[in-house]
Amino acid sequence: MSETNLIIAGVGGQGSILASHIVATAAIRDGLRARVGETFGAAMRGGAVASHVRIGKDVSAPLVQKDGADIVLALEPLEGLRNAVKFLAKGGLLLTNTHAWIPTDVNIGRAEYPSMDSITKAVEKLSGKIVAIDATSLAQQQAGNVRTMNTVMLGALVGTGKLPISVETLKQVVKENVPPKTVDANLRAFELGFNTVQK
Amino acid sequence: MDIAEDSPGKRVLLMGNEAIARGAIEGGVKVAASYPGTPASEIMETLAGVAQKLGFHAEWSTNEKVAFEVAAGGALTGVRALTSMKNAGLNWVMDMFMTLVYGGVRGGFVIVVGDDPDAHYSSNEQDTRFAAFYGEIPCLEPADQQEAKDMTRYAFELSEQLELPVFVRSITRICHASGDVELGAIQKLDRKPVFDKHWKIPYRWNVYGPPGPVEKHRWLHGQLPIAKKVVETLPWNKLELRGKPKIGIIASGIGASYAREALRKLKLDGKVAFLKIGTPTPLPEKMVTRLLKAVKTVLVVEEGDPLVELQTKALAKDVNCDVEIVGKLSGAMAPVGEINTDIVTSAIAKVAGIKLTEDKARELARAEISKLVAPRSSTLCPGCQHLGSYWALKQALRKVGANVPIVNGDIGCYEQGGYGIAGKVIKPSTSTGSVRYSIDSPYETLDTNYIMGGGVGLMQGEFHAGYKDGPIVAVAGDSTFFHACIPAVISAVYNKAKGLFLVMDNSWTAMTGHQPNPTTGVTATGEPAKVLRVEDVAKACGVEFIKTVDPFDLKATTAAIEEALKYDGFAIVVTRRLCTLQAQRQKKFVGKRMVVDQSKCTSCKLCVSLGCPAVTFKNNKGGVDPLLCNGCALCAQVCPTGALRAE
Repeated sequence: MSETNLIIAGVGGQGSILASHIVATAAIRDGLRARVGETFGAAMRGGAVASHVRIGKDVSAPLVQKDGADIVLALEPLEGLRNAVKFLAKGGLLLTNTHAWIPTDVNIGRAEYPSMDSITKAVEKLSGKIVAIDATSLAQQQAGNVRTMNTVMLGALVGTGKLPISVETLKQVVKENVPPKTVDANLRAFELGFNTVQK
Repeated sequence: MDIAEDSPGKRVLLMGNEAIARGAIEGGVKVAASYPGTPASEIMETLAGVAQKLGFHAEWSTNEKVAFEVAAGGALTGVRALTSMKNAGLNWVMDMFMTLVYGGVRGGFVIVVGDDPDAHYSSNEQDTRFAAFYGEIPCLEPADQQEAKDMTRYAFELSEQLELPVFVRSITRICHASGDVELGAIQKLDRKPVFDKHWKIPYRWNVYGPPGPVEKHRWLHGQLPIAKKVVETLPWNKLELRGKPKIGIIASGIGASYAREALRKLKLDGKVAFLKIGTPTPLPEKMVTRLLKAVKTVLVVEEGDPLVELQTKALAKDVNCDVEIVGKLSGAMAPVGEINTDIVTSAIAKVAGIKLTEDKARELARAEISKLVAPRSSTLCPGCQHLGSYWALKQALRKVGANVPIVNGDIGCYEQGGYGIAGKVIKPSTSTGSVRYSIDSPYETLDTNYIMGGGVGLMQGEFHAGYKDGPIVAVAGDSTFFHACIPAVISAVYNKAKGLFLVMDNSWTAMTGHQPNPTTGVTATGEPAKVLRVEDVAKACGVEFIKTVDPFDLKATTAAIEEALKYDGFAIVVTRRLCTLQAQRQKKFVGKRMVVDQSKCTSCKLCVSLGCPAVTFKNNKGGVDPLLCNGCALCAQVCPTGALRAE
C-alpha cells in the first residue's frame, strides 16, 4: 500500500492552505486520490495552521496519523516543530523555512522561541531528518515577492523527490492557482526552492 | 475550478463545503440562504459565486432563522431550496424547524449543518443529528467529500418523496477538508413556483388551520416508516458480512473513513463485519439487526454524541439479541472531543484483544520536546481596529476608576478579547466577593462570552441584579448587532437598563472569512445594497446616548467611551473603521511608515500591551516587524516617548 502523508504547517497568511491544495490537485491530475485536512485557529492572520495532505490509491481519512507524516513542510520553524513532535514518522523529513514568525506569547515574555539548533536536535531525537532553508529571503530577494515564500517551499518539497507527482504537473497547477500577475515570480520561487534542495 | 462547470465524470479536488454547494447546484437549487458560521460558511460563498450565472437566488440573511425561513418559503412554492449553517446556528432555527415539519414542504428542502466536534471554531460541541431525530426527519451523514456532494444532491429527491425537509449533517473534518470528487450532471429544473394552500393536507402551510397541530404531527409521524424503508436501499448504508466474524463495527459518517483505515492498520480488513451508516436517523434497522444477530461484540464509531449507539442498543433489546455493544456510552471512546484514526484504532484493538505496543522512549522524547514548543495564542490581526477599541476601553475604565468592571463579550473577531494568552497560567479563584484582575493585553478584556447577541442581554441582568462593584459593559460587532442584538437593545431601553454597549463596526462579517452584511453595501452575489447603520437602528430603538468614533483615533475613542461610562442610562458607542484586511484588499487604507528609535525606548512595554502581533520586543526594546506592520500607527499613539512614531 503506497501512500504519501504530508503536513504543511505555518502561520495564517503564509499560504499553507493554498500550497496543500496545489499538491492535492496535482496528485489527482496524476491519477491518484487525495485528502486535505485543515486545522487552524480562529484568527485570519497569525494563527497556527496545519494542512494534512494525504496522497495515494486508497486514502479516506482527512488527517495524518500520529507518527505518520513522511514529510512535515514548515513555512515557519516553530510550527514545523509543533507538528513534527506529534506527526513526524521515524525517518521522516522536516523541511523548514528558517524565518520565524514570533508569537505574541513570546513577544510579551510569556514563552520562549526555540532556537534552530534546538529544533534540529529535537528532530534528530525523533529519528527524523531536517532540511532548513531561508525561503523568506529567497522569496523576497530573489523571486522578488515575499508572498511567494510558500512556492519556494513547494519547490523545495518537489526537489526532495519524495512526492509521487511529476514536476511538470505541479508547476502547471502552481501556474493555475496563483494570482495571474504573480505567475512569473512564483515560477522563479519554485525553481529557487527546487534548486536549493537539489544541491 | 469553476464549480458550475457541467462536466459529469470529471474528478476534481473539492473542499467539503464546495462539494455540498456542488451537490445543491447539481440538484437544481432555486433558493439558497445562510448566515456565515465556521465551518459551514463556504457553502453559501460557493453558491453565491455562481448564483447569477445559473439563475438561482443566494443570500446572506441577517441570521440563521431568517435564512431558514427564506429557504423554507421557497420550498413551499415547490422549488428546491437549501439553507446552511454552523451547529450553533441551528439553535436559532429550532422554533421554525420543529413546526415547519408538521406540514412539510412541496419542493425539496435541504438543511445543511456543519457541526464542530472538538470545538475548533465553536462555543460548544453539540451534535445536531439529534435535531433531525427530534424533528422526525431523515439525516444524511457523509463520510467524505464525494458523499457530501452526492448526498446533498439526493437530499432534494428524498425531501420531495417524503414531502419533508432533509437534514445533511456535516462536520469540520468534512466541511474544511478536501478530497477528490467525481462531478455529476447539473439538473436544470426551471420549475414555476406555485401555491396551493390545501395541497394534499388542508391548511398545509398553516399549522393551526384544521385539522390542527396534533393531526399534522400524526401525518409527520406517519412519514417515518416510509423513510425507514427508503434508507435500507441507499448506497451509503452498506453491510459487509462474510463468514462468521465475532466482531462487528457500525460506523457512521466520517467514523467509517476512520474505521476503515484503522482496520487496515490492524490487519483486520475483511475479518470483522462492517456496517457503514450514511443515515444515522432513521437507522437502516434491518441491516443493523442482521449485524447484531451475526456477531458477539459491536463497536459503534460515530463523531459527536452516541446517537447511533443509543438506537442500536434499543434495537438489540427489541430483537432480543445477546450482543455486547460498546462505543462512547461504554467508554470505549471519549464522549467529548473529536475522534480520529488513532483513537478508533485503539478502540478496535481493545475490542479485538490486540495489544498495541507503545514506544516508551519515543513518548519520553516527545514529552521533552513538547516543552520547547511555544504556544501561539490566537490574536487579532496586525493593525486590527479592535486593538484600538480595546485599548480605549481599558483606558476609559481606568479613567473612571472602575473597580471590578464586567465586560460581556460576544461572537466575532473581537471575541479574541477573551481568549487570554496561553503562556499565562490562571488558577481558579474561590473568592466570595468581586475580584479585580489586571488586563495586561486586549486578550484579557472580556469576562463573559457565550453566543451571538448574548452579551447585551447578560449586561442587563447584571444591572437589574444591582451590581455596583464596577461599570457594566457589553461588546458586539456589526454583523452580530443585526443578527441578534436588536431585541435586546429595545429591551434595555424599555426596561431602563443602564450600561455601555460598545459596537465594534468593521462593516464585514470578518471572522468567518469576510462575508458582506447589512453594513457592507453589497449583497452575497456582489450587487450594491443599502447600507444600514448601527446608530440609526439604535436611535429608532430609543437609545438616547449614541456616539460614533474612529478606533484608530485613540484619544477620541477613549473620550467617547469615558463619557458613555459616566452616562446615567443605556449608552451605545460605535467604533467604526473598515476591517484592516478588507482595507488592504481594497487598497483603501495606505498605512503610515513606522519609524523606530530604540534609543528613546524606556522598555515600558506599553506597545506590547496593545496586543498587536506586529509589535516586537527584543533585547528589552520595543519595535515593529516590517513584514507584518500595516502602518495603523496605534502603537505610535500608545508609545509615551516617541520611540515608535509614524513618519
